[in-house]
Amino acid sequence: MSDVRNGYVEKLAILFERHYVSLFNYFLRLTGNREVSEDLVQDVFTRILKYRATYQGEDRYIVWMFKIARNAHIDALRRRKEALPLDEQLAEPADAEPLPEDRLEREQDSALVSKALGLLPPRKQEILVLSRFQHMKYREIAELLDCPVGTVKAMIHRAVAELGEIYAALTREKCHDM
Amino acid sequence: MTCDDARAHLPDFLTGELSAKAKSSVDAHLAACGACAEEFHKVSETWMKLGVLPVEQPSAALRDRFYTMLEAYKEGLDARTADRKAEKAFSIREFFSWKRPAFRFAAAAALLFVGLAGGLFVGRSGAFNEKFARLERQVDDMRQTTALSLLRQPSSSERLLGVSYSEQMRAPGEQTLTALFRILDTDPSVNVRLAVVDALFLFAKDNRVKDGLVASLGRQESPLVQVALIDLLTEAREQKAVDALKALIADDKIHPDVREKAKQGVKNLTS
Repeated sequence: MSDVRNGYVEKLAILFERHYVSLFNYFLRLTGNREVSEDLVQDVFTRILKYRATYQGEDRYIVWMFKIARNAHIDALRRRKEALPLDEQLAEPADAEPLPEDRLEREQDSALVSKALGLLPPRKQEILVLSRFQHMKYREIAELLDCPVGTVKAMIHRAVAELGEIYAALTREKCHDM
Repeated sequence: MTCDDARAHLPDFLTGELSAKAKSSVDAHLAACGACAEEFHKVSETWMKLGVLPVEQPSAALRDRFYTMLEAYKEGLDARTADRKAEKAFSIREFFSWKRPAFRFAAAAALLFVGLAGGLFVGRSGAFNEKFARLERQVDDMRQTTALSLLRQPSSSERLLGVSYSEQMRAPGEQTLTALFRILDTDPSVNVRLAVVDALFLFAKDNRVKDGLVASLGRQESPLVQVALIDLLTEAREQKAVDALKALIADDKIHPDVREKAKQGVKNLTS
């Protein structure tokens, strides 16, 4: 990133290749919308170019990049229409071939977990995504969110517990419907 | 270890960051406390459950868009760097260098002149002039069409590219100006709006542009865009901006940095 800041902007391609899938999945977990997530990834790299001069060499790049990603997401939330839930986008078309039973079960479970995650309050959802899917350390999340590490840990605990309750409720609902 | 102590270790337990010593204390507590053991089990199960979510792959279009944007940015950066170098190190050799856009233009103009003279000589200058003017109009129309099309795209990088195309025009048409001002007032991306401010700076002598910028200042919510507009209008010595700046200063909700910038702007414009 220091090279990009110093004018070798073509080196941004290396950072893009390293992080674009991860950023896409971060946005996808938060928005549930593939198109919006791709736009946001693009927005992040555009902002990195725009604000490359603000990168301090001693900053951890991941934390700096996710600060930009969070701001891009917050701006998008303010302006964009409500996104489609992920399970709607991942839904198989009506005339699709029937899936093998185990795959069907796995995909239904995945859709249920995804739905439960989407029902968490945004702050908890974000912390959980950063820790569980982006594998960020609690101290990095604390730095990113500008709060004490203890707060992050407490929120992780509460978020996972709440997610478990939502998931259980959704499972009950599904069994009831069948 | 108390129940509270054990549960405080739960987040590190989930990510496997618990030290061996702490883990052994937690294990000992869980063996003796049914409630904590159940809590740890439930939370760990949910944590593991999240693993069923697959890593999704974005479409190939994302990479294409990124590389298009990077290329456009790099070209713009190279052009700006070349301009700055030319300003800093002016010399006779550089003055006549083929790398200078002005010299290239002069050379092109000279060639054009030779062509025109040749055309006159053979008695066909009228037709040549007409053809040349038509070609020039076509190129400009093409730029306007491309810019307009890009400015309407849903992707912010493509809109940025559209703004960059607009900068290359000698004078943007009515439609392009309308599109640029629409983006300046309503675009969801602050970056795109800032790029529009930079682009419009090139046409700040045009009264339509000046009036549009003054009107837009009152509609902006982003402090970054407000500051960029204040800088532009102050540099363009636009007296009509004074009232808009005063309105900003009087606005309670305005960012303090913007208010300060607006005060400086009023001072510069009225001094």
